[in-house]
Amino acid sequence: MAKWNSIQVTKGSGGYGGPLTITPTEQKHKFIYVTGGNRPAIVDRIAELTGMEAVDGFKTAIPEEEIALAIVDCGGTLRCGLYPKKNIKTINVLPTGKSGPLANFITPELYVSNVGVNQIQLLDGDTPVAVEPEVTSTTESEGKYDTSKSITAQMRKPSFIARIGIGAGRIIATFNSAAKELVQTMLNTVIPFMAFVALLIGIIQGSGLGNLFAKIMAPLAGNIFGLILIGFVCSLPFLSPILGPGGVIAQVVGTLIGLEIGRGHIAPQFALPALFAINTQNACDFIPVGLGLEEADSETIEVGVVSVLYSRFFNGVPRVLVAWLASFGLYSR
Amino acid sequence: MQYVTEFASGFIKLFNTGGAVLVTWMKTIVPVVLLLLVLMNAIIAFVGEEKIQRFAQKAGRNVLMRYMVLPFIAAFMLGNPMAFTLGRFLPEFYKPSYYAAQAQFCHTSNGVFPHINPGELFVWLGIAQGIQALGLNQIDLAIRYMLVGIVMNFVGGWFTDLTTKMVSKQMGITLSKEVELKV
Repeated sequence: MAKWNSIQVTKGSGGYGGPLTITPTEQKHKFIYVTGGNRPAIVDRIAELTGMEAVDGFKTAIPEEEIALAIVDCGGTLRCGLYPKKNIKTINVLPTGKSGPLANFITPELYVSNVGVNQIQLLDGDTPVAVEPEVTSTTESEGKYDTSKSITAQMRKPSFIARIGIGAGRIIATFNSAAKELVQTMLNTVIPFMAFVALLIGIIQGSGLGNLFAKIMAPLAGNIFGLILIGFVCSLPFLSPILGPGGVIAQVVGTLIGLEIGRGHIAPQFALPALFAINTQNACDFIPVGLGLEEADSETIEVGVVSVLYSRFFNGVPRVLVAWLASFGLYSR
Repeated sequence: MQYVTEFASGFIKLFNTGGAVLVTWMKTIVPVVLLLLVLMNAIIAFVGEEKIQRFAQKAGRNVLMRYMVLPFIAAFMLGNPMAFTLGRFLPEFYKPSYYAAQAQFCHTSNGVFPHINPGELFVWLGIAQGIQALGLNQIDLAIRYMLVGIVMNFVGGWFTDLTTKMVSKQMGITLSKEVELKV
């Protein structure tokens, strides 16, 4: 049954979901594209790789149980969720993530977006092609959808106007999905941290603690020796991994120093070396994970953890010093 | 009774002060950063990860590209933590050094390009808001932060080559300096 081949579809840059594996079967060997009349290049690519038949969803309707895959160009209103809701694997040509009224149905198992020709790969031949024994009435209705040829002929070269339309739609959808994703980032990570830091500032400024902190922070962060001390302590190899997580300590200490700069207790020039001093432990907690992202071998990780801790230690104080030298002339009027 | 009232109003004052700070940030920082992030991420989506990966494969060969140009661009284009994934194109020996440089680039460029690391923005913003409170221009600080970062992060990466050499000798492990692509 090597009549059909399986493909794997991954998300494009800025896309969402996937990777999907599409395996045509006796029953499901057609795929539908619902893309407003034009025919995306991936339609031909998929047809060629899998041997499946492409059906223009705007022209012909086929029973849902025969659809192996749906291709849409939806910017996030309805269509992108419609087919996942019916449990049909869906490829979106545009980089739309989980959105629209049916967003809940858009899952990485069923949906992949911003797919271009390069995101579609033939799966290795050894993947068994699933065969469903109960062949239904595929043959009798075959003739009805064999319209693909004429559509190809028509749409191989989209008209100038159509191309402008497709291009504009793509740009708008990209911006829109970037905005959606980033509002989430803002809501989930930035604003909560702002609330936490604002509360901290409120407590420090509103109570007497502010003056106490000024007494501690000003001599520490207000001159180069204090900053070197901060940088040195933060970079100690046995402390740096503890101080690292999420940059929380650096963020809180930074806020405290910023507060004292704002109140005039620390000269603004020292902001620059302070930025380096509070972060000499930068990412020391994250080394194994980061090296994992670099796909390093276990031996490399073993060596790398120790190596980076050492190098952070040796570089910590020099970084503060160089930043201090570079800070001359900053905000001096 | 008077003490209770004083205590209560003092208590509320903490939250009023904090609330005022939060609202100022919401009005000044949030919209600007958000719009900047949207533009940057849209640009990045248009350029595409594939081009950057192709660049990374070539960039590993010399030390300046490896610890200065590549991590700077990776931070700008992929942000934290995805920027680290470009290290997979480097030989095993250089991966820890790339990590050391990359992690710092995810902070030092964050003042000028906050889209790189919005989750840890306050490492920069905590101090920068003091500058803002004085009515001074944050950008002066942001640019120097980035420039010093470019130089010192490179030095850090290069120096990690030495510590890696030392540590691997101690542990009796030899790490390959040849590229072996698994992708």
